[in-house]
Amino acid sequence: MTERVIKIYDRLQARDYRNERDTTEYDVATDFFRRGLSWSMRSAQRLKFLAEKEQARLYKGDRIGFMRSVANIPPLFTAEEQSERQRDFYIFDSGVVGNISSNYEHVISCGLEHVRGEIVSSTCEFEENTAEHDELCAMLVCIEAVYTVADKYKAKAEELGCRELAAALKRVPRKGAKSYYEALVFLRLINFMLWLNGNKHNTLGRFDEYMRSLYEHDVKSGKLDRETAKDLTEEFFISLNFDADMYPGIQQGDNGQSLMLGGLTPDGTYVFDDICKLCLEASLELGLIDPKINVRVCSKTPDEVYELGTRLTKRGLGFPQYSNDDVVIPALVKLGYDERDAYDYTVAACWEFIIPGKGMDIPNIDAVGFPAVVRDAIYRADGINTFDGFYDLTERILGEYVEKIVRETRNISIEPSPFQSILMDGCIRSGRDISLGGKYNNYGIHGAGLSNAADALASIKKNVFDEGNFDFDTLKRALDADFVGFERERKLMLAAPKVGNNDELADDMLIKLMDGFSQACAAHKNERGGVFRAGTGTAMYYVWLSETLGATADGRKKGEPFAANYSPSLGIVTDGVLSVINSFTKPDLTKCCNGGPLTLEFHDTVFRNDSGIKKVAALVKTFIRMMGHQLQLNAVNRDALLDAQINPDAHKNMIVRVWGWSGYFNELSTEYQNHVIKRLEYLG
Amino acid sequence: MKGTVFSVEEFALYDGPGIRTAVFMKGCGMRCKWCHNPEGLSMAKQLVRRDGHCLKCGACENFRLLESDSMQSAAERCPQGLWRVSGEEYTPNKLAVKLLKNERILNANGGGVTFSGGECLLQSEFVAEAVRLIRDRLHIVIETGGYVSEKDFMRVIPLVDFVYFDLKLLDDKKKARLYTGADIDVILANLKRLSNSGVSFAVRMPLIPGVTDTESNYRAVGDTVKSSNADFIELLPYNKLAGSKYSSLGMDYDPCFDESKEPRVRPEFFTALGIDARVY
Repeated sequence: MTERVIKIYDRLQARDYRNERDTTEYDVATDFFRRGLSWSMRSAQRLKFLAEKEQARLYKGDRIGFMRSVANIPPLFTAEEQSERQRDFYIFDSGVVGNISSNYEHVISCGLEHVRGEIVSSTCEFEENTAEHDELCAMLVCIEAVYTVADKYKAKAEELGCRELAAALKRVPRKGAKSYYEALVFLRLINFMLWLNGNKHNTLGRFDEYMRSLYEHDVKSGKLDRETAKDLTEEFFISLNFDADMYPGIQQGDNGQSLMLGGLTPDGTYVFDDICKLCLEASLELGLIDPKINVRVCSKTPDEVYELGTRLTKRGLGFPQYSNDDVVIPALVKLGYDERDAYDYTVAACWEFIIPGKGMDIPNIDAVGFPAVVRDAIYRADGINTFDGFYDLTERILGEYVEKIVRETRNISIEPSPFQSILMDGCIRSGRDISLGGKYNNYGIHGAGLSNAADALASIKKNVFDEGNFDFDTLKRALDADFVGFERERKLMLAAPKVGNNDELADDMLIKLMDGFSQACAAHKNERGGVFRAGTGTAMYYVWLSETLGATADGRKKGEPFAANYSPSLGIVTDGVLSVINSFTKPDLTKCCNGGPLTLEFHDTVFRNDSGIKKVAALVKTFIRMMGHQLQLNAVNRDALLDAQINPDAHKNMIVRVWGWSGYFNELSTEYQNHVIKRLEYLG
Repeated sequence: MKGTVFSVEEFALYDGPGIRTAVFMKGCGMRCKWCHNPEGLSMAKQLVRRDGHCLKCGACENFRLLESDSMQSAAERCPQGLWRVSGEEYTPNKLAVKLLKNERILNANGGGVTFSGGECLLQSEFVAEAVRLIRDRLHIVIETGGYVSEKDFMRVIPLVDFVYFDLKLLDDKKKARLYTGADIDVILANLKRLSNSGVSFAVRMPLIPGVTDTESNYRAVGDTVKSSNADFIELLPYNKLAGSKYSSLGMDYDPCFDESKEPRVRPEFFTALGIDARVY
């Protein structure tokens, strides 16, 4: 880091600037309601209102900047309207557009004046007083709001003598960026405006793809040396963290600022070039939770990429996360994505595969708690006397769970987002807000507790059917009693085969459940014409769905959490990481490819020297070659985490991976802290 | 035929090239004061207690006096699950099946299987048989201190792909006896056999402050390696955590040297002799 960037970094870490925000709870909805504004226009007017309230907060030496001064985003609807919406519609999450990936390239290269021209021409296609016309007018208001913010920063930059930024803002956002630096400023401004617009989980998409041409142009023409490029990239990365404490999520850190690097092109070449390496280096040097680095890999990925990635893993941030093009691209094609688009995939907030500019998928719409499915089957198993019969029942119940989700996700209502719509393909031409749908409108369902459920099935097969150690009646009583008085039975359940030990019986159960999940999803379409995608992620459902669930036949007690994502059940001792990889690459992941990584935790001493790093890199490569779909590694030290609970001040900047994101350990609730620690129990 | 194993560790990092599974055999004839793997000393099964919240219920009273047959059921009596039995019996076939389950990953990265310990050659018949079952399909490394009989040594050596041979203290027989419990002559005779066997090998030298890192020991080891066919030497600086596992076995760690001192790490000493030297 240069001294200039260290100053900005220190300002972030001191966090003092966060106390200077305007924390007024503004009310805009009452006025909007009175004026009878459309929803789209309300969204645009709110953005305009906030842009006018925002103060430029800049410091000498800044070259990128943009720091929020207004803390609260007021609601679009009055309390009464909001409760009506909740009564009449299905509201997912908080009902705002988010967790999608923008087409940054178009805006950054053309500039907003050009885009404004597109919008104006499109308005000519629609009658006044139509929804389309109104949407397009709302987009124009949004563009004005961007200019308002940009101009405040330009003035402030001139005042403080931030010459480079002032010059950049003379060009962008009105005109397209002509240099890598201008593109970074532009991208940061859009990112800032998306958050100000109330959008959620704003991802950064395929950064290398949309930045490459300007970066390479500047480097080749000698305008940009690598040191400056790194300096600017680092400043850009830091700026993504300025306001992260205000970004909505389940826990702080769950904000979706994922950034994807590398990947296969449709002609079959694998790209991971200098701009990708630059980003890895910047992230490594900074050690900040945003952006969350993702890397696309495949059988053609050279060892060097895995080694660079492993060096970043060593930093203990819980990323990079790897996605396997050899699995994901064919899987997306199977789900109905155009091949060209499939090649362009990125990840949503955590790991769900989406298409930048085109996907209005909701890849995390709900989750099936698999342990509950198997538990239900036990209570409905009267008269069943073969394991196959029991498994068929389980699959039927799984189908019912999926159907319930299909039913309950109908009649969805999402707040319009004309600003986000500007960044999505086709919205300007159609005058349709992205909240109403994009090119792809698929829903994804997480598969929470897959391992616990597979373990439970293996235990039932072995104990009830193969060995006759106990019958369903005893099993039910044991589960009802949370194993009190049934210690012998629980011991037998715990001793049954487990997923993660490369055990044929247990792994077969995992394969069956995932195939069943995929089939159950394939039977349905959503109201937007999209499909349902079966996935291996859990998000927070590993806690939510397990809290109230009674004991399960794998020996799990009532209320104990499931594993996070696609990982062995919590608290089981596996034979080791090689067996885990074997188990979790056995299912055909092209069938169950909504996203959700296998997580491997390594003690931080594993990365002590070059040889350790090379070995971890080789392990990642092997996982990819064995057609695993997604992998995420953590370098952890359990003792340090335990100490951080006792002495939080001594570990202020300690970062851990939670599910699809990383956060500051101190800022997690105790419940999530304990879960992270429990995951590491057998790691020393 | 059965062998006693105290750990089968997947993704062992320090036991040879590539991604490997290491099999740690129980029992060792040496008693190095700095041994960091005390579970490997005794060939008998042992009860091991991990750190954790103890309820002081007394269920584990007299655990250290138990016969091996009753250990497993005793361990299960701890309500907190803090106890486990170290030492699992394997037939060569059972071990081979377990190792071959990960064949694909092990072979994909130039890795394989490493037999370590303890002293794996003390159970040479078992190891030889297990190696025979897998050597056509997996790369085999063994780690030995060489303090075993000629018969035990030569039963296994010709079957493996690579050997790590430890040379600890060579400059003073008495001192070696005191600090390692071993007879140097037995070790040197086995090194000569290894050197003549045509099997590739490397020497490993633990650097213990004030004990093995002395000028005269460096010279003794250097001369010995120089006159052998070793591919390279690996220096292993003393690990300050070496003593951490003793209390879990109910044993005392008494290193008899100043642990706080840094060992002298001098790869250049060997390089000057024309020996390829690496530091771990």
